[in-house]
Amino acid sequence: MFNITNKNIVITGGSSGIGRQIAIDCCKMGAKVLIVGRDTNRLSDTKNTILSSGGYICTIEADLTSSESIELVTEQAISEFGHVDGIVHAAGISTTLPFRSISQSKFDNFIYTNVFSAIFLTKNLLKKGNFDDNGGSIIFFTSVMAHLGESGKTIYGLTKGALLAASKSLAIEYAPRKIRFNCISPGVVQTPMVMKQDYAQSEENLSKIRALHPMGIGKPEDISPAVIFLLSDSSSWITGTELVIDGGYSAR
Amino acid sequence: MEDTAKKFLEAFQEALEVEGKVIKFEDKFREYEEWNSLARLSLIAMLDEHFGVQIQTADFDKLQTVGELFQAVQTKV
Repeated sequence: MFNITNKNIVITGGSSGIGRQIAIDCCKMGAKVLIVGRDTNRLSDTKNTILSSGGYICTIEADLTSSESIELVTEQAISEFGHVDGIVHAAGISTTLPFRSISQSKFDNFIYTNVFSAIFLTKNLLKKGNFDDNGGSIIFFTSVMAHLGESGKTIYGLTKGALLAASKSLAIEYAPRKIRFNCISPGVVQTPMVMKQDYAQSEENLSKIRALHPMGIGKPEDISPAVIFLLSDSSSWITGTELVIDGGYSAR
Repeated sequence: MEDTAKKFLEAFQEALEVEGKVIKFEDKFREYEEWNSLARLSLIAMLDEHFGVQIQTADFDKLQTVGELFQAVQTKV
């Protein structure tokens, strides 16, 4: 039912964690995928995994915190595909940092990595001729932390809240072009990024995190099907909304 | 050495939001009333921000005194 065959999808953060799983599943579903990442080895590992099962994938190593890199990614996407049908912004960084420890450099790093990259890559890819004339789907990865609070999550949560807010106005602005904007807001998902966090360094702390999720900590495979749905034409009347996928974290 | 020690103690005091107390190298910082999980994260962030020292959680958790923490900074700077 959820058909994404031959859709051209750009996935940021596509070489690791949730983004990697989305890339693998999109290719399995017949989409053509360009993944953007910062680590050459992880990019080629993901590429080889997908190629071994016959998928269509290309990669580009880029740090999306610079305008120049965003230009390069846009150029590669268009030269590879001709036009883009969907973007998944899965790239991002996380931290648990007390408010008193937030410096301007940390603030800037989070804003550029989590917000600037998604907004300006989207802006570039939306230029006339880059996106399919029949519309498309853009997905921002936000977080339950865009709605709810936890100590030390100010800097992370504010970047996710910014994307969530942006998606609403973008949904309205681009509805005439049938380009849809939606957000996926996961709870804690077991990814390399999460497992590097301080709270994942002891079984005691991980147990506390698990206890906050009635259905346990998520896996990348728990998130990917929702992305496929939002990329497909089955969700063609869904825009400006958010799918919270958190194993019940926010149901309390 | 003296300048680094002074800079370290000031940054330490700020990270833990310790006020009205003289910090000594022999102090067991985990026994301060200000010590909690956020203070711990704040201290780890301070080491990175001010001294470029990224300390592994397991190594950090072995340190008990302010002096041991300073020593760890000295050996990694």
